[in-house]
Amino acid sequence: MSKFVSKLSALACGAAMVAIAPFAAHSADKVITVWDLQTTDGAVKVIRDAADRFEKANPGYKVEDTHILNDAYKTKIKIAFGANEPPCVFSSWGGGPFREYVAANQVVDLTPYLDKDPAFKDRFAPASFGAVTVDGKIYGLPAENTAIAVVFYNKEMFEKLNLTPPKTWDELLQVIDVLKKNDIAPFALANKNKWTGSMYYGYLVDRIGGPEAFANAAQRKDGGSFADPVFVEAGKRLQELVNLGAFQKGYNGLDYDVGGSRRLLYTEKAAMELMGTWEASTIGNENPEFAKKLGFFPFPSVPGGKGDPSDLLGTLGDNFVSVTNACPEKDKAVELVKFLTDDIAAAGRVADSRLPPIKNLKVDNPFLQDVSKLVSEAKSVQLWWDQELPPKLGELHKDTSQALFGLSKTPEQVAEEFEAAAKAELK
Amino acid sequence: MTLTDIVTRPAEGGAGGAALSLRTLAPAIFLAPAILMLAVYLLYPLVDSFRLSLLDWNGLGSDARFVGLDNWKKLASDTLFWEAAWNNILLAVFSVLVQMPIALVLAVVLDNAGRGSRILKILYFLPLLMSSVALGVLFKYFYDVTFGPLNAILDFVGLGYLAQDWLGDTRLALGAVIAVVCWQYIPFYMVLFMAGLASFPAEISEAAKLDGASETTIFWKMKLPHLKGTIRTAVVLSVIGALRYFDLIYVMTGGGPEGASELMATYMYRNVFSSFQLGYGSTVASGMFIIVILIASVLLRFSKRYETEV
Repeated sequence: MSKFVSKLSALACGAAMVAIAPFAAHSADKVITVWDLQTTDGAVKVIRDAADRFEKANPGYKVEDTHILNDAYKTKIKIAFGANEPPCVFSSWGGGPFREYVAANQVVDLTPYLDKDPAFKDRFAPASFGAVTVDGKIYGLPAENTAIAVVFYNKEMFEKLNLTPPKTWDELLQVIDVLKKNDIAPFALANKNKWTGSMYYGYLVDRIGGPEAFANAAQRKDGGSFADPVFVEAGKRLQELVNLGAFQKGYNGLDYDVGGSRRLLYTEKAAMELMGTWEASTIGNENPEFAKKLGFFPFPSVPGGKGDPSDLLGTLGDNFVSVTNACPEKDKAVELVKFLTDDIAAAGRVADSRLPPIKNLKVDNPFLQDVSKLVSEAKSVQLWWDQELPPKLGELHKDTSQALFGLSKTPEQVAEEFEAAAKAELK
Repeated sequence: MTLTDIVTRPAEGGAGGAALSLRTLAPAIFLAPAILMLAVYLLYPLVDSFRLSLLDWNGLGSDARFVGLDNWKKLASDTLFWEAAWNNILLAVFSVLVQMPIALVLAVVLDNAGRGSRILKILYFLPLLMSSVALGVLFKYFYDVTFGPLNAILDFVGLGYLAQDWLGDTRLALGAVIAVVCWQYIPFYMVLFMAGLASFPAEISEAAKLDGASETTIFWKMKLPHLKGTIRTAVVLSVIGALRYFDLIYVMTGGGPEGASELMATYMYRNVFSSFQLGYGSTVASGMFIIVILIASVLLRFSKRYETEV
C-alpha cells in the first residue's frame, strides 16, 4: 500500500511541478517571507519601504510581506511553526508564547549579529530587550511601538461636562457618575477578545499590590501567589466598576478587531477606553477628525494601594521581529530585520504616531512626547499578562478575567482557580 | 472513447485474462484519486490525532512526552468539554427542529408555486452561497447592542424592551448563533426536499385527485411518505453537521462569552492554538470523533425503517 501511495504521490508531485515550472522560471529571485500583524496603511507602508530599501541593497532578493489581523495571526503563526514552514521573519510580543518557540529551537539567536554591530544595538532602549531575552540571549528586535495601556478619552466631551482626567479611584468614580447621568457609557470595552478586559485587572493588581504582586506570583518566588488578597481585591474593584455600569452594554460580546469599541467612541456613546497606545495611530488612520479630540491619562491610583501610579502595563517594542531557524537565508533575513528596525523605519513609525523604543528619538508629535515621558518616568513596565504567562495560563487568565466582567465568577473563585492552575503549570 | 469501450474491447478480442485484470483495474484506477485524497486528508489525520492524544506536547519542538491515557482521563472529567458537547447537542436538536419544518414548507410552497417562483428559489438559496466568515461578521453587526439593526427594529416597532445584548449575554449567545446557522442551512435542505418532491410522479397525484383527494391529503398521505427517505438523510446530515460545527461560532463569539457558546470544535481549537496543547487538543478532537460516530450510528440504526431508495 505504502509503495502504491508513494508512487501515486510522486506522480501527482511531478504533474504539479510541470504545471508550476513555467512560472518559477521567471522569478529567479530568492524570496524572504515576512509575516506581521500590521494592517493599517501607515504601518504597512513603513514595512514595505524598509523591504524596498533592502531589495535595492541586495539585488536578487525579494521580500514578500504578509499582513494579518491580530487574532488570525496568532493562529497562523502557530500552525506555520507546527508544520515546520514558518516565514523567514515573524512578529511577536515576546513573553510566554515566544519563549515556547525559542525553547523549540525555532528562533535564531540574534546576539552574535548584534555583538558585531554594537552601534546598531545600542540605539535601542535596554529595557526593550527584556521580553525577547531568554537565558541571556536576544532573539528579537523591538520594532513597532512603545505600547502601554492608557485611558483614552474624548477631550471635547470632558470639557463640555466639566470633567478632568481622574488621578485616583474616587475621582474615577465621580467621572463615571457624571457620565452615567449624561447617558454616556463611561468606558468602551470590546471584551470578546478578552485581552482587552485583562488590562483593567492587570492595572488594578499593580495599583493595589505593586508590580511585585504579579511578578512574584508568575515567577513563583518570594511566596508570590495568585490567591493573594491583592488579586481578590483587584477582582472586587473590577466588579464594582461593572456593577456601577462603567462599561457600555454588551461589552463581553463586542469584537475589538472589527472596531467594536472604537465605534462607540466615534459616535460619542462612550467617553473613555483603556487601550494600548497603538490606538492613537489606529484612530488617526480610521477617523482623523475624531483623533483631534483624543486625549489620554494613566490608569488612576487606588487608595491605600502599594503600586506607584507611574507603573505601566504594556510593552517596549510592541512587536518584536525575529528570524526563524527554518529560513534558508538566515543572514539575509537578519539584515532585513535590521532594515525593518533602523533609523529610517523608526522615523517612518514616528510619523505614523508610533514610538519605537529607540533612544534619543526625535519626536515632534505631542502625543508621542507624552507617551515617551510616561515611559521614562515609569518605575516598572509590566508586559501584558496574556503574553507574559505561558500560553496555557495566559488563556486561562483571559477566560477568568472575562468571567469577572460577566459577574459569573467571584474574585475569590478566580484567584483560587488561577492559583491552582499556576501551581500545576509553573514549577 | 467511453469507459465501456476500454473495458470491453480486449474481451472481444478473446484475451480473457487481460479483460479480467482490466475489469478490476479500471475501477481501481478511477477510484484511486478519491481514495488517495480520503487517506491523506481524512484517514491519516484521524489515526494520527489518536496517536497525538497520548502525548503531552505543545506541537512545536521535539519534546513530546508520552503520557498514555492521562489526557483521556482528564477529558472524562473536563466539565468544559462536556458543556461544549451539550452545546453541540442543543445545536443539533434546534437545527433539526427549526431547519426541517421550515425547509419542508418552503420546498412544498415553491414546488406548487409554478411560474414566477424561479426568482424566489434563487433568493432563498442565497444564504447558502455566502461564506460563513462573511456571514459571521455581517451578523455580528446585525446583533450589535448599540448600532445593530436588530435592536433598532425592535425599538422601532415598540418592542424596545426585547432588545438584548445578543452576543454578549451568556444566556443568549448560543441561541443567537444557532439562529444564524439555521438561516444559513435552511436553503440546503429546501433544495434537498425540492428534489425529493420533483421525483414524485405527477400521474399519481393526478389519479388521486380524480379519486377526490384534496391537496392536503395528497401531501400528508402521499408526498410526505414519499419524502421520508430524504427527510431521514437530511436529519442525519444536519445532526452530524451540528456535532462538528465550528465556523460561525468561531467568528461570532469565539465560544464565549465565558464559554457559553463553546462547541467541541472551538474548544479543541482553543486548546491547540491558544493554549499550545496539541496533545490534549487532539484528545478533544478524538473524543469528538467518538461522540459523533456514536450518535450518528444510533441515529442511523433507529431511523432504518424510514430508509428508501431515494
